[in-house]
Amino acid sequence: MATPTKSETMFEEVIDQQLGRRSFLKLTALGIVSAAAATLPAEIAEAAKEAVTKRKFRYGMVIDLRRCVNCKACTIACKLENKTPPGVEYNPVIEEEIGEYPYVKRNWFPKPCFHCENPPCTNVCPVSATYKRPEDGIVVVDYKKCIGCRYCITACPYGARYFDFGENYPAQETDYGKILSPEFKGEYGLRKEGKSPDGNVRKCTFCLHLQDEKGHYSRPPACSETCMAKAIHFGDFGENSDGGCITHQDCNLKQLLVARRWIRLKEELGTEPNVYYLM
Amino acid sequence: MHPINRREFLKLTGVVGSGILGAGALRPLKAIAKEELGRGPYDNGKWIPSCCHMCGGTTGIMCQVVDGRLVRIKPNNHNPVGFTNISDDFFANADKEGAVMCPKGNAGIMALYDPDRVRQPLRRTNPQKGIGIDPQWKVISWEEAYSEIVSKLKNLRDAGEAHQLLWFSEDHCFTHIQDDFCKLFGTPNYNMHSNLCDVGRKASFKILMGDERPLIDAINSKYMLIFGWNPLSATKWSHLPRIITRGVERGAKLVVVDPHLSYTASKAHQWVPLRPGTDGALALAMAHVILRDNLQDQAFIDEWVTGFTEFREYVKDKTPQWAEGITTVPAKTIEQVAREFASTKPALVDVWSGTHHTNGVYAGWAIGSLAVITGNVEKPGTLVLPDKKGNKHIEVEADEAAKVTLKQPRFDGGKDKYPYFNKSGVYAEIINRLSKGGGPYQPKMGMIVFQNLLMAVVGTKNVETALRKFEFLVVVDTMLSETAEFADIVIPGTTYLERYDLNNHWVTWPILGLRQPVVKPLFGQPAEYEFVCELGRRLGLKEGNGGDFFWTGHMSHQRIEDKTKWYEELLSKELKEGEPKITLEELKALPGATWVSKNGTKYNKHTGAIAPEKVQDAFTEGALLFSKKKDGSKDKQIGMLKADGTAVRGFMTPSGKLELYAAKHTGKKDANGKELSPLPAYEPREWQPDDKYPLYLINWKEASQTHSRTQNNAFLAEIKSTDGLRMNKKTAQRLGISQHDEVWVESPYGKVKMKIELTEGIHPEVVGTQHGWGHWALGRIAKGRGAHTGILAPTKPCALSGQSLNKEICVNVTKA
Repeated sequence: MATPTKSETMFEEVIDQQLGRRSFLKLTALGIVSAAAATLPAEIAEAAKEAVTKRKFRYGMVIDLRRCVNCKACTIACKLENKTPPGVEYNPVIEEEIGEYPYVKRNWFPKPCFHCENPPCTNVCPVSATYKRPEDGIVVVDYKKCIGCRYCITACPYGARYFDFGENYPAQETDYGKILSPEFKGEYGLRKEGKSPDGNVRKCTFCLHLQDEKGHYSRPPACSETCMAKAIHFGDFGENSDGGCITHQDCNLKQLLVARRWIRLKEELGTEPNVYYLM
Repeated sequence: MHPINRREFLKLTGVVGSGILGAGALRPLKAIAKEELGRGPYDNGKWIPSCCHMCGGTTGIMCQVVDGRLVRIKPNNHNPVGFTNISDDFFANADKEGAVMCPKGNAGIMALYDPDRVRQPLRRTNPQKGIGIDPQWKVISWEEAYSEIVSKLKNLRDAGEAHQLLWFSEDHCFTHIQDDFCKLFGTPNYNMHSNLCDVGRKASFKILMGDERPLIDAINSKYMLIFGWNPLSATKWSHLPRIITRGVERGAKLVVVDPHLSYTASKAHQWVPLRPGTDGALALAMAHVILRDNLQDQAFIDEWVTGFTEFREYVKDKTPQWAEGITTVPAKTIEQVAREFASTKPALVDVWSGTHHTNGVYAGWAIGSLAVITGNVEKPGTLVLPDKKGNKHIEVEADEAAKVTLKQPRFDGGKDKYPYFNKSGVYAEIINRLSKGGGPYQPKMGMIVFQNLLMAVVGTKNVETALRKFEFLVVVDTMLSETAEFADIVIPGTTYLERYDLNNHWVTWPILGLRQPVVKPLFGQPAEYEFVCELGRRLGLKEGNGGDFFWTGHMSHQRIEDKTKWYEELLSKELKEGEPKITLEELKALPGATWVSKNGTKYNKHTGAIAPEKVQDAFTEGALLFSKKKDGSKDKQIGMLKADGTAVRGFMTPSGKLELYAAKHTGKKDANGKELSPLPAYEPREWQPDDKYPLYLINWKEASQTHSRTQNNAFLAEIKSTDGLRMNKKTAQRLGISQHDEVWVESPYGKVKMKIELTEGIHPEVVGTQHGWGHWALGRIAKGRGAHTGILAPTKPCALSGQSLNKEICVNVTKA
């Protein structure tokens, strides 16, 4: 098959973003959408144009599993940064044991949100509360819109979304409870019972308050900054990027992916995660 | 205070890494003025540099404070402890990569704002003391607390019984002033943490190298052989995960010897499980292989080692087959690791708390011997002796009254009883003498500052009896610990975020980081040093020359009312007279409030020449050179004369060389009256499994908690809420035990109920658990999680070093 034309690629990107690949395939099967670029409805074509011009960054992570020591500093740094409540961990470390004594090993990896290129979690939202930001690709939840239906929790194949059951740490009764959360640039401020995001779905945002959509600034997400073995590299995989790592100056994400063997989880789903694990 | 740290500043200004900043739309930061960097609450308030104390590691931190509230803690890139222990690495890479913090450091905010903290002084109203007995606390005023404590102290001192005050303190926090207080008050019984930690290792390396604390240069190593240590998880120094994994990345092989598949062992190329307490035998067999195959560094040995002939003779029959029978490590594995270790350069070998057994000092010495015979000492990538210089603890001179009681023997027997006694005391001996009524006298009063003896010293029942013996016990702590429940008065302490300290440990060249109050003490309580100062003032303690130590400003020489200001001057004095030669204010103004010596890491210090004038002035004894006291008598060892007559530093041992044979041991006895071995001989540890208690029980540390003091931390409880008893699957099968079964773990000293965690990652003859769980006090989160295994052990000190033996336990496990 010939290389797809630019408009075809554009079309696919739009479909991926607006509908998600799987829903798109379903729709095509039902004959609802035609796959020919020539017959693009005007509004989708418009959206396609906009998306291409809008997309400036493709933020992601390269996590070096040879370095990671399972200290879980990332998990806690995230809680400290985002002031998440009990049970809401944006970046837990998953562990397993393999082998038989004495040839046995414990394997592990930190698991933030992968901010997939084709996020299966966003399309299922009945109120469009969760979406992939057009400019930087960060998957966010609009706490003002979220109705707490948790469809997205089910839809995420990586278990990267958490429900805020309104629990609090005992420290909530102290000055700790008066600290503003910086999440979404402090938009939601103080945690109050019954107020969003209590009763909402929450997830890793690559520390959104440290990333500017317009590219004026970008700082390492808390997990990558604290990482004891310097295993978590954060940066931009986008086509405009030189691959420079925002967390560690001497490192280049794109180069790392060339030099080392890597995997992404559940590649077969076509989600195209933006978090790569170096093996 | 600058709002962003230096690394970020460099990024913003584009001074460093222009290649990264230059292209693309990623970070066109150059053009953006600082005030435009607004990002909600992120840059509000101020960033105050300090040092962590969630453990004794003293990692540098940056604390964001908004409206007097701590909001965030981030790594401090100016403090090497959070990055590396080698200066070249620090100067070249710290700005680019940035420092790190461990999970505990990140959870510090929860320690500060823990709602279960002690807020006011408390007095017990229930005279009964014991585990599970409610002290029936009554809140009292500070005035009441001070006057009661001071009157008890005064009675003791007036009666000429000042030595009957026992003082215990945590380390890497306000230790100097407590030490000074004890001296001015007149008690020789100041005890401080290390005894529970690594004095066994200290003794091993003191014998071998004349230095208590060599550190690993992991980042430059090509082979790392680690015995009984979990540095990638028990990350006391937060740089360890980075330097070790980086060493591996640069081609080093990592081999870990441990009965348990720790996270470090999991990360290793090879895990070598063995029976607990047999590390010495394994090391000797490796030495046997190395010498049998002539893989030693003979030139290095000839020049720098003493006792090689005796050592070679001793290991002649310590064959791999011999060691296999003792350790269960296959002879061919011993051969392989020994040959690899000896033929890879540079290589390092180390051990920490894996030797908390009765034979631990000799085991550590045998392990260190592997470094010595292969010449892996003081070179890049090997064991390096740190050049530890920082603030100076200025000696105080006691007055006449105090001098009398200071002459009393230490309650624990001190250096007369323990040949490798460490000034941190012998906790197990103290507890035993208290509970059983032995010792030269019976102490009447105890002062326990930020320590939880009931959980930190094994033999819980015994510790309970001991604590009951104090007529009056004061506990200073942030939490109502198990030990605090035995106090007559509890004084609310401060967290590290509310007080000062100077920290100069854990890297190989001189540095000093400031810990400073980032918020005011939450409940208006004094910091511990102010509490001690107040006691000193009220008691009217004076120096030998009549000086008012606790009143006079140590810089201004003026009387100072404000105790914080007084302490700040004391710190300034220590800094001025120490290596940095700056004041406290100047230290505060340094980037990251950290002083870093430009001298850097020095290798091969033993070859360093001694200046001719120093040699001329020296007191000479045999081949050794000593500095002289004022009266011309022998003071500290400064070097040695080599066979060719040149004067070099050498090693601070009686021979000036690395000692595989310690002649000084001849005729000397340990605390049990047994003759010391002049060689790192292997003897089985005293307590071996038998039919009744067939399993070894060990414990370890992980990154998720510090000792027994952080289990009430809400963040930390979330990453690991408890620990079970880890048991090999095959062992469980044999015992009819299944996953998550409740079991009784029983020893002659007691039994505890635990939940089984099955694993393939533990020696089949061993069960084990992370230390620190099983609180029955401390706070609402800590209480009732997991089991405290200290109850299963006797309170027992190592007969050489006094090290509390926390890992020599045998148990039987049955289904509950």
